[in-house]
Amino acid sequence: MNKMIPVLLVMMMSLSGLAFASDQPMDALQKPIDEVISILKDPQYQDAAQKEVQGEKIWNIIQKVFDFDRIAKLALGKYRKNFSDEQLKTFSGHFARLIEDTYLNKIQAEYKNEKVNYLEQKIRGDKALVTTEVVREHIKIPVDYLMYSDNDLWRVYDVKVEKVSLVKNYRSQFERVLGDESKTPDQLIEQVREKLEKQKKGKNGANK
Amino acid sequence: MVRINDKSDKNHPMTLPLLFFVFLFVISSAGCAHQGGKAPRPSPGQKPDHGAVLAAGDEKPLESEGREEDPLDAFDSGEDLDLWDEESEEESISVADPLSPWNRAMFHLNDKLYFWVLKPVAKGYKAVTPSPFRVGIRNFFHNITAPIRIVNCVLQGKVQTAETELARFLINSTVGGLGFGDLAKNNPKFEKPPAEDLGQTLATYGVGNGIYIVWPLMGPSTLRDSVGMIGDYFLNPVTYAEMSSELSLGITGLKTVNETSFRIGNYESLKDAAIEPYESLRNGYIQYRDKKARNKEDGKSERRYDNLIKEWIR
Repeated sequence: MNKMIPVLLVMMMSLSGLAFASDQPMDALQKPIDEVISILKDPQYQDAAQKEVQGEKIWNIIQKVFDFDRIAKLALGKYRKNFSDEQLKTFSGHFARLIEDTYLNKIQAEYKNEKVNYLEQKIRGDKALVTTEVVREHIKIPVDYLMYSDNDLWRVYDVKVEKVSLVKNYRSQFERVLGDESKTPDQLIEQVREKLEKQKKGKNGANK
Repeated sequence: MVRINDKSDKNHPMTLPLLFFVFLFVISSAGCAHQGGKAPRPSPGQKPDHGAVLAAGDEKPLESEGREEDPLDAFDSGEDLDLWDEESEEESISVADPLSPWNRAMFHLNDKLYFWVLKPVAKGYKAVTPSPFRVGIRNFFHNITAPIRIVNCVLQGKVQTAETELARFLINSTVGGLGFGDLAKNNPKFEKPPAEDLGQTLATYGVGNGIYIVWPLMGPSTLRDSVGMIGDYFLNPVTYAEMSSELSLGITGLKTVNETSFRIGNYESLKDAAIEPYESLRNGYIQYRDKKARNKEDGKSERRYDNLIKEWIR
């Protein structure tokens, strides 16, 4: 029996190693993205009436891998401490909606068999970087994802398209509103809400 | 998404008076596709918008220049982790904007020019022009500005890239039919490298952004990049072609409209996603240029002429 102990130990170690190996940030990203692409290609959603269902499905997948609460907090940067938990919640909800409205509709409308190549991943502690490129015909757009391990689940906290960080970009905008114009958190929330409403109107107007 | 773009593509950093003339010209010829004049470039051109993240579907403007820099380096240096430091007082990349009132006015002007003039013209042009023709025009303008890129590659010590650019220029100017075709890219050795311009060259010599400047029609720039544009203007063969000013304006207009026809929708998504579009564009431009200036020839030995020049200056 004593002989078995080292064997068991090695087995346990290799098992945990395996579990760890399958839990790579790149896989955590690739799975949902591939799923989204297959939904985009799915003929059952090509009908205009089905677009809403399709959008909802995609958004549910995206929300699992993109941590919008975290993205919103990081984008607020130092101003985050001016926000109460309540305000933070409302804000990140609106913020996620803004991103959803802007990009989701766009992908749905314009998806044309783009392919995603997964290039490299790098892990440092509980943070990771996954580099990819989106290929459309002969054009490649570098898209990098910064991820962190949230209870053993890799989630995205920033995206860089052509090296431009989404979080840093929003941070510069919120700096304007909360810093230069010294507006209150509530005013920023209101501004985002107005933007959402305007987009909604624009969309309905365009459909007419 | 947005392939923003490089000065070499936008070249023609015209002098100020000429700019205003062009501006008048655009206004007076609004709606006339082939003589559109130099159009506003707040466009997508200037700013990679985040659309690509999810919206792979955008019409992508330029062909890829490939990866310009190893993003893993930035990750290694811990730069990307700065984000987590929420208390950090300064933005990692920012630019002085003392001309803010002027810049904001120009931003609004360019915005209006885009929606009122450039976009309708580019849409009309796209509708009546077959895609291969537009790609050919784009290739032609890219090819003819090769001298700008070659000189700047050499100045930055990117000798191998300079050789690639030269080879591409020779192949595409001859068998490519004056540059309308891009045959060189069929050989993986001659894939389109990232475009270099004088603004980036100055950056590699340690020149900072200076201040942020929004030019009418040409869009976002900085003091350094504006100086670079003027320098690149003299490296542009088109500058030396003898032609009437009307023709020269027509060419600039065609180039701008043609380029925009690949990017319709990009500027709109930038604006849609932004709470403060002016800040979003400014930050996007600065981030994009910053990364572009720091690109390296990966895996190739880089002969740094800039080091020699720096020593020589001392």
